[in-house]
Amino acid sequence: MKRLALLFLAGPALADGPAVPQFVEETEAAGFAHSFTGDWEFVVGGGAAVFDCSGDGLPEVFMAGGTSSSALFLNESSETLAFRKAGSSGLEMDMVSGAYPVDIDADGVTDLAVLRVGEARLMRGLGDCKFSDASADWGFDAHDLWHTAFAATWEKGADWPTLAFGSYIDRAQEEFPWGNCTENLLYRGAARKFAPPLSLNPSFCTLSLLFTDWNRSGTPALRVSNDREYYKGGQEQLWHIDPEAEPHLYTEAEGWKRLRIWGMGIASRDLNGDGYPEYFLTSMADNKLQFLATPGSEAKPQYADEAFKRGVTAHQPYTGDDLRPSTAWHAQFEDVNNDGFADLFIVKGNVWAMPDFAEADPNNLFLGQEDGTFVEAGDKAGVASMLQGRGGALADLNGDGLVDMLVVNRNGPAQVWRNAGPVGTWVAIKPQMQGANRDAVNAWVEVRSGDRTQRQEVLVGGGHAGGVLLPLHFGLGPAEAAEARVIWPDGEASDWVKLILGQINMVER
Amino acid sequence: MEPFHLNRRFLLLAGVALALPVPAFAADRPSPEVVVLQWYRLILELIRHTATYSPPVASRAFAYLGVALWEAVAQSRGLTSLAGQANGLAPLPQLPGAVDEAVLVHATLSAATATLFANTGPTGQRAMTAMTEKLGAKVTEGLDAVLTADSSAQGAAIATHILAWAETDGGAKVENLGFPMNYTLGGKPQSWVPTSAVRLQQTPLLPGWGDVRPFALTGDLPCGLDPHPDYSEDPASAFYAEAVEVYETTKTLTDEQKLIARFWSDDPMLSPTPPGHWISILSEIAARDALPLDQLADALARLGMAVADAFIVCWRVKFEYDLLRPITYIRRLIDPKWEPLLNTPPFPEYPSGHSSQSGAAYAVLEAIFGSDFAFNDATHEADGLPVRSFPSFKAAAEEAAISRLYGGIHFRAAIDNGIAQGECVADFINRMKTL
Repeated sequence: MKRLALLFLAGPALADGPAVPQFVEETEAAGFAHSFTGDWEFVVGGGAAVFDCSGDGLPEVFMAGGTSSSALFLNESSETLAFRKAGSSGLEMDMVSGAYPVDIDADGVTDLAVLRVGEARLMRGLGDCKFSDASADWGFDAHDLWHTAFAATWEKGADWPTLAFGSYIDRAQEEFPWGNCTENLLYRGAARKFAPPLSLNPSFCTLSLLFTDWNRSGTPALRVSNDREYYKGGQEQLWHIDPEAEPHLYTEAEGWKRLRIWGMGIASRDLNGDGYPEYFLTSMADNKLQFLATPGSEAKPQYADEAFKRGVTAHQPYTGDDLRPSTAWHAQFEDVNNDGFADLFIVKGNVWAMPDFAEADPNNLFLGQEDGTFVEAGDKAGVASMLQGRGGALADLNGDGLVDMLVVNRNGPAQVWRNAGPVGTWVAIKPQMQGANRDAVNAWVEVRSGDRTQRQEVLVGGGHAGGVLLPLHFGLGPAEAAEARVIWPDGEASDWVKLILGQINMVER
Repeated sequence: MEPFHLNRRFLLLAGVALALPVPAFAADRPSPEVVVLQWYRLILELIRHTATYSPPVASRAFAYLGVALWEAVAQSRGLTSLAGQANGLAPLPQLPGAVDEAVLVHATLSAATATLFANTGPTGQRAMTAMTEKLGAKVTEGLDAVLTADSSAQGAAIATHILAWAETDGGAKVENLGFPMNYTLGGKPQSWVPTSAVRLQQTPLLPGWGDVRPFALTGDLPCGLDPHPDYSEDPASAFYAEAVEVYETTKTLTDEQKLIARFWSDDPMLSPTPPGHWISILSEIAARDALPLDQLADALARLGMAVADAFIVCWRVKFEYDLLRPITYIRRLIDPKWEPLLNTPPFPEYPSGHSSQSGAAYAVLEAIFGSDFAFNDATHEADGLPVRSFPSFKAAAEEAAISRLYGGIHFRAAIDNGIAQGECVADFINRMKTL
């Protein structure tokens, strides 16, 4: 993996605002030729999974293909981006809507949960970017559903992951599909096998799932974002997922407040440094940025929407002539300018010829600021694509310490941009455990520099139909030194360790 | 329109309908009444799932759909056209000869729905196509090809005529989901101000809707209403007292009051909207009582025009008074942390739109069905809300109106005077001649 010398250059800045990273589209030059195609059954989906299957430290990219074949792109980047489409990785299949990387069998080789319109599949990583269908071997009872969401966790004491699969509409219903949401399923298991799934009833046409330790109790709950276009009597959901207990919903009596949106994707990050995660929920027109109303040990699952206050409603295009309301899909927080403040990337795109909503709908890149607000920089950064976006990812694709960007567009070419800096100071942390849950899913990584502590939860899920499983990236701004610790999924904290800046630092348990 | 006794009238009209020459058709062909109710079931879903369809826009669609349906049935049966009665409606193209009514109403509603909901999403488009094709195949099964073609052509011609008329009313084009890009707030203490952190709703919904051409109202837009109590921040004032009533009521809501508030909340995009709620009630009654086609078409047309005209005049008045919402006043003067049960709609307070259109709806339905007509309302059953039973349309309308106080989104005057405004609108509708 090539590492560049650390630089902190004065880059172009918004007036008295953060430095704007310059993104260079390298789709064609990088050989990043792929399309997610389809009609009604692929109005949603189009996810990308980003993970390293070659072991060279550079992440590969798997993309859903819809009615076209899904594809794995092997990463051959150096200073510029370069990809080679794998010919026979075992991941080439039809009707794929999305995918998430996760090391199910804890063999140190990342596996892939593949969402399909039809039966989902669990693909075992064999090494060297080869995969085989392990669904049967692992006792995975796949249902014929319109799969749209996925999340994974390891429950306390479990040696086998718990997987949640989200699904959408009964696609046999033509005249009256509304109110016909199909079930979300929870797969638990032990001894290297999944038991028959539990139905997460009621299910409300889910487009994003996320196991997240929202109250820092040490037991992640399942956050569910649902599309109000199709459910009846539905809302956003939060499920108790307590070990060896039946899943059950958080109720109004527990403080859960009904929210009904066109839920499309979830992004999570502790933005205000209080130790609790905030959630960005994508939708149509206004999006939501939720802050826990009363953080603390007695916290109730009540959130205040601060999207307007912090400048991330992202309700309409910010550039171009089309000012109709926006449609948002994948979302992700990363620090793209390494200033130490998380930025927010939102993939936008019209559902499918909906004239009430913008058809030239640029993706957003909001730069986080010290005061907690965000400022739009998508156009200035060069990523304001007007194609019909769905999935996407932020990830350091060429190992230079800068977070790059890719987008999966519906019925159009996927796109990839190289982040050309300025570089800034950064560090990446890779927590690793022995035995089950090798990637420490739902651990918290804390990076301390000066008087600031940044935190990220290791997550498998969220976004829109795809996710990233890579070392966690932290921008450090002007810091010249930093240290980190990991709060492992069982609550035990590692010691603080001094970090080597500009590198991936592994923290093992 | 003269009030009449329901049962007697239905019996009489059912006899007339049976006496009409009707073409022979396969035994399992859907009746025209079934065709209408199937389309309206879909239309209620399209209202819910088309983002532009806020309550005023929804009411407009119900009016044009109802009039189109009525004109198709009126031509088929030689009944009185609304041309020359409804504002701006010119005489329609005449039937070429015999028609099959099931095919006729299917073609009329299919064409009208396709245009009025042209901006619905891919699922709605798919549903309309499926309905047109599948229901079309059923209604034409075994039918003479020429009769099928003539009936379809006539239905399409009627829809074309109605849709051309609709294009001229000033309400056909709705941009940015009805929220203007620019709007200057009133700036007075009593002026409406945005009430949510939703960025799209920082301007009020459809400030120009009061200029849309009404269907039955004539002259200089009648049905204005008495003013609300003079705005005052004096705790001894009538206005303050109304705010206290909202505040105190919402602090002590019973479960039944909460249920009522939610039952009539009828939020856009999450329900068929307030006008759709009344269409849903009528559809349930029609299915329960097997309303004959001419009664069904008449009722749908009248109810559609009633709610549409109520919204037009209500919106005109809303923007004349430009009054703030309870949430603004109460947080400013009584309790800065007060939270109403319902989300406050993004437009001025006075009068209550639901009250106005419910006043019009009940008075029109009462003229058709009678004043003591009991019914069940299962509009929100699929959303988990129970069926509610009402002894009369007026009782339902009064409950709809007071639900806005329980929900914390309207003051008393907006409710009481809103109902009265709707009743005024209904008087115009009830004077129109049909059956």
